[in-house]
Amino acid sequence: MKRIGILAAAAAVIVGVGACGGTSTTNSPSPQAQLGGSVTLWAEWTGAEQRSMEAALQPFEQSTGVTVNYTSKGSSISAALGSAIQGGAPPDVALLPDPGTVQTLAKQGSIKDLTNIVGSLASNYGAAWNQLVTTNGKLYGVWFKGANKNTIWYNPAEFAAAGITSTPTTWEQVIQDAGTLKASGIAPFSLCTDIGWPVADFWQNIYLKTAGATSYNSLATHATKWTDPTVTTAFTTFGQLVGQASYLYGGVRGSLDNGYPVCADKVFPKPGATPQAAMVFEGDFVANEIISNSANYTPGNTGTGGATCTTDPSKTPCYNFFSFPAPAANSANSGAVQGAGDVAIMVKDTPQAQALIKYLAGPQGASIWAHLGGFASPNNKVASSAYPDPVAQAIAKALVNATGFVFSLDDLQGSWEKNMWQDLLNFIKDTSAPNIASIQATMEQEATAGLGH
Amino acid sequence: MAAANTESRPRLRIRLPGRAGTRQRLEEGGNPEGGFRPHLGSLAFLAPGAIWLLAITVYPLVATARNSFYDGTATNFVGLRNYSDIFSTASILVTFRNNVIWVLVFPFLVTFVGLVYGVLAERIRWSTAFKTIIFMPIVFSATSSALVWRTIFDLDPHIGIVNATVQTASDLVSPPGLYPIDSSAGQTVNGLASSGVGPGPGGTLQSTSMVSAGDVLTLGLIGINPATLKLAGAQTAFVPSPSPGSVTGLVWRDFSATSPDARGQVLPDEVGFPGLRLTLTRSDGGSAGTAITDSRGNFHFDGVGSGKFLVQIDARNFRSGFTGIFWLGTQSLTPTSSLNQTARALLSVPLVDVSMIIAYLWIWAGFAMVVIGAGLATLDREVLEAAKMDGAGEWQTFRRMTMPMLAPVLIVVLVTMLINVLKIFDIILNMAPGSSQGDANTLALAMYNYGFTGLGNWGLASALAVILFILVVPAIVINLRRIRG
Repeated sequence: MKRIGILAAAAAVIVGVGACGGTSTTNSPSPQAQLGGSVTLWAEWTGAEQRSMEAALQPFEQSTGVTVNYTSKGSSISAALGSAIQGGAPPDVALLPDPGTVQTLAKQGSIKDLTNIVGSLASNYGAAWNQLVTTNGKLYGVWFKGANKNTIWYNPAEFAAAGITSTPTTWEQVIQDAGTLKASGIAPFSLCTDIGWPVADFWQNIYLKTAGATSYNSLATHATKWTDPTVTTAFTTFGQLVGQASYLYGGVRGSLDNGYPVCADKVFPKPGATPQAAMVFEGDFVANEIISNSANYTPGNTGTGGATCTTDPSKTPCYNFFSFPAPAANSANSGAVQGAGDVAIMVKDTPQAQALIKYLAGPQGASIWAHLGGFASPNNKVASSAYPDPVAQAIAKALVNATGFVFSLDDLQGSWEKNMWQDLLNFIKDTSAPNIASIQATMEQEATAGLGH
Repeated sequence: MAAANTESRPRLRIRLPGRAGTRQRLEEGGNPEGGFRPHLGSLAFLAPGAIWLLAITVYPLVATARNSFYDGTATNFVGLRNYSDIFSTASILVTFRNNVIWVLVFPFLVTFVGLVYGVLAERIRWSTAFKTIIFMPIVFSATSSALVWRTIFDLDPHIGIVNATVQTASDLVSPPGLYPIDSSAGQTVNGLASSGVGPGPGGTLQSTSMVSAGDVLTLGLIGINPATLKLAGAQTAFVPSPSPGSVTGLVWRDFSATSPDARGQVLPDEVGFPGLRLTLTRSDGGSAGTAITDSRGNFHFDGVGSGKFLVQIDARNFRSGFTGIFWLGTQSLTPTSSLNQTARALLSVPLVDVSMIIAYLWIWAGFAMVVIGAGLATLDREVLEAAKMDGAGEWQTFRRMTMPMLAPVLIVVLVTMLINVLKIFDIILNMAPGSSQGDANTLALAMYNYGFTGLGNWGLASALAVILFILVVPAIVINLRRIRG
């Protein structure tokens, strides 16, 4: 009793000094006026994304007086954080692009349990989102930025030139429309291959839409084997498209030379060029690439000022997307979304870090970035009106309303991820049944070695 | 000479510092209490270097060797599992194959080219300019050089100068047709047939029905971009009226945006195919006349006489232009497609390796030239003069005199380049397109990819580093021996 009294007295002194106070549960739920101090934050964003993030953090800094020291760690943030935790100079808060690392760090006890800090704010996210960062019933992260990889982008003018008036809602219609586009004289698809990650994103969508979210998560943790018939089905379904070389811009060879973002430029070229293909599959970030190619591109199916969409990017070109559809027989899976996102975790428990976590779990910061563009939030408290255009709204809506949400499967594969990409590239080169069987056997072997089970 | 040499050695040895020298000085009557001072002094001078060496060379070496027996996070001991994984994973075996290709080809090639340049540079007038140009690439960062060469070898002839050159030559020999199909992209002439036409002999399309004088044919094609037709001056399709004694008809784009599923009907928003070369063939295959379609896609064969005919659309209309060689692709130069995965990984020679070797040669030939040039400059002219006086020709002098005298320099270049390509990394990361990375992978790049990208597997990456180290050791030993000798 006496010791507790002393601690309470010490805490009271500290609160009195005004250095801290965020840990007290008796305080009001809103961040204290002028908490002061500073918090270090690591995330992967650089350039324009970094500026948007800094803008999103501004109200937090103003209302709490906490200085956020932001450091960009680029795409190697997971590795950088791992070594910083071992080496002893980690940040207070980090935004990680992969929940696999969050799970690993949580199991190691390197990051803090956020269950009580986040409290009721957890209901701002769908169950699937929270589940990805929950270990042993404890919540270890709050999602800030979400990505929708359920998007097939199309050039509306090319669809109009081929007489396609409504976007496909089943995979069979995608194949059928591809045939129509080919007959109209344009390559239906520009297939992004790069080092394999876009192919993985594509394949994963097909697996999700044919086998469903439960099987998907089971395959992600390797509880389902890669030799499973559901995997074969996904490959043969994918083969209905990529097995038809003439449905791909440049055929198989041209596809293998198609890195990102060049593959998107084939559908949404810069002024002076003409579209070489009608559709390109990749995540919502394609919108950034399209807009950076030309400010003329208008989201939706009408050009600037209500003009008809043109294939000529120097006039009134447009861009739009449709959600990756499931085969007709698997229509129950059409609402499932594959995506990704950046999740905030707390490495050091300081009042400032707690305040930042709460801020990131709320809608305020996300709404600011949403307004700046190139952003979608899985947070259901972010209003649709925060997004600048109908395409961005539709992307975010799909994230929030997803009947099932799965994280990008390859990012959960640890060290064999790159082998998985290579195997999928090998499938693009040869979509025959014997090769599918051989690839599945290889993947099973690599997954066993890479995941240790 | 030899006697004088052996005599001079002991004298040199006395002057060398070391234990013998110290003892000698002590025996000569130095202060016995200050006996350790030279040791302490030298240790103090050695310490910074030694600590530096321990911290940045010995420690990482030991830690890497240790990690190679641990799992991906370097926490759990796994014995030799990383090593067994390396030798049982096809995608890692590929890295050994590529390292072997590089080691077998590159050092010899660059030494040879360096020798040719070195000899050449001695004999031409603008030698300094020549040497500067050849040497210049070494000043550029390997990454920028790799990106330059990636562009040079680009698949698209509009970008890659190599393919552009081949295209120019190819178009002179066999010009592409007015409506070229890209056969390398899976397009076929038969895929263009829509209505009234089907596959004909020798890559042609021909009418599906026989006609005779006075008939009108409509041949529908699809799959050609409206922009291509517009460029050729196409106008709205129009079915000509029959003409006695003639076979007339229309070739048109049988695709309407307003009703994309309607085939075989000539609709108001459809255009003709201008400039198509057609042949009227008899049932025995012989030609009964030729025609070219006009801007509305109309054709007519006049005065055809009696009998039944087929209208053929010539293959040359659709002849593929040169669409580029995928220099940075992974197609193997050795026939390995029938082998199993492991054998394929070990025995294929992907074209991208050859392209990268050429680029790397461009980077390093200057270095080889300068080193070999320096060696050439120090050669004893008198010996060469003497050989010439004795009647040796240019080639004989080069073979029998220059080469043997230059051998030590050539070996230095060879060994330096050997070490250089064993750890080759940046050119592959930056020059090979994404889809070729897996097949162009090398040990050093695999080590980086496993260790520092994604989640990382430190154990496997460390094991790769250890293997790479073991492979480099012989080359280092040779080099050290040469430096000492």
